Amino acid sequence: MVGKIIMEKLFTNFTYIGQGIGFMLQLLAGGFAIGTTMGLLLSILRHGKVLAFLVDRFVSIIRGTPLILQLSFIYFSIPSICGVRLGTLAAGIVAFGVNSSAYVSEILRSGIESLPKGQFEAAQTLRIPKYYMWKDIILPQVITNVLPALINEIIALLKETAIIAVIGGMDVMRRSQIVAAEQFEYFAPLCIAGVYYYVLVLLIEFVGRKIEKRRSYAKNS
Amino acid sequence: MLKIHDVCKTFKGTKILDHISIEIEKSSIFGLAGPSGSGKSTLLRCIQRLETPDCGLLECNGKTGFMFQDFQLFPHMTVLENLLYATKFLASKDVYGEKSANYLCMARGMLKDLGIEEKEQSYPNSLSGGQKQRVALARSLMINPDILLCDEPTSGLDIATIQDVVQLLRSISETGVTMVIASHDLDFLTKISDRIVLLKKGKIAVDVHVQQQKDPINYLKRYYT
Repeated sequence: MVGKIIMEKLFTNFTYIGQGIGFMLQLLAGGFAIGTTMGLLLSILRHGKVLAFLVDRFVSIIRGTPLILQLSFIYFSIPSICGVRLGTLAAGIVAFGVNSSAYVSEILRSGIESLPKGQFEAAQTLRIPKYYMWKDIILPQVITNVLPALINEIIALLKETAIIAVIGGMDVMRRSQIVAAEQFEYFAPLCIAGVYYYVLVLLIEFVGRKIEKRRSYAKNS
Repeated sequence: MLKIHDVCKTFKGTKILDHISIEIEKSSIFGLAGPSGSGKSTLLRCIQRLETPDCGLLECNGKTGFMFQDFQLFPHMTVLENLLYATKFLASKDVYGEKSANYLCMARGMLKDLGIEEKEQSYPNSLSGGQKQRVALARSLMINPDILLCDEPTSGLDIATIQDVVQLLRSISETGVTMVIASHDLDFLTKISDRIVLLKKGKIAVDVHVQQQKDPINYLKRYYT
């Protein structure tokens, strides 16, 4: 009898906390999409001369301040400055995206810089236009080389989405805390949240390995 | 074909090229000799516009192709893709009729001439040094250059392969391509070149028409030290 009640409670908690997964994945997908696109752009701009300084400052500031501050800034203080209020999800996606872009741009920069200068020159001597040089010659090699670091960044981002709780986002972590506060019981809800996070991370790792394997053309052939 | 007039280049206070003037004729094979650090590669890179000279003029009537000392093949593309990629951006008038089909024929033909047609689907990392060399040569020829610049084409190759490279470059030159070859290998250069300029500390030490010298190698060696 007692066992059944415990099982039922556990199940209800499991589904209640699990309902935060969709929200969390939206934050992750949106954040990572913005992060990689913007990161890519920043790393290429940084390779040039004109905007390199500005990009450098931007990356430095983003990396030099806590994510929780950036998120609060976008959600709480932007409305008071320009009157535009973003919803929880939108604010989260923007904050995580901008934050991630700084790290992604650093990852890509290291990849671009580790490529032999001759690859750029070879493209130049073959009269390949700049856009195609980046798209077909440089970036495919860079992405293969930095893939492990990029997967690291997705995993870090997934776990960082828990910060969304400070602006009231109902993600897995926040839900587990609500359950804990209602039932005066921390062990089970936190374990449940932990399992959700860990399973998702395992999934990302699995997919990442598959992609890595598929792209390791020249290393083993 | 190619006029180099009073070209200088300085890197961090060191003079690499010191007022170099050379005129190179069409369809000739021109050798650039000299010890390491004499400025051979820098001069080639200036001609290709990979470096900008500090002063002087470079006049070049035609398209240049460049072969790198370390090949710089694209490792994520197969041999055939390496050859064909750049042709996408050429105007179709370079080859008659249907553009891409013709370039494919041209690439396959070139690989066959170079004896590596069975490697067209291989990635560069699986090739030997000599094979990479050939792919690099073929790739630089795919854009139909009028002048081919080769930086140390024999470095790291064995004697038999060097002999092949000599044959190859000769046959390319016969199609009317002007060649500028930088190498520290005097034996190789005298075998292939019509004319050799020896650079030393960024200056022209000697300018030799190979046919007019009885023993060009020993003649050049005197200027080496």
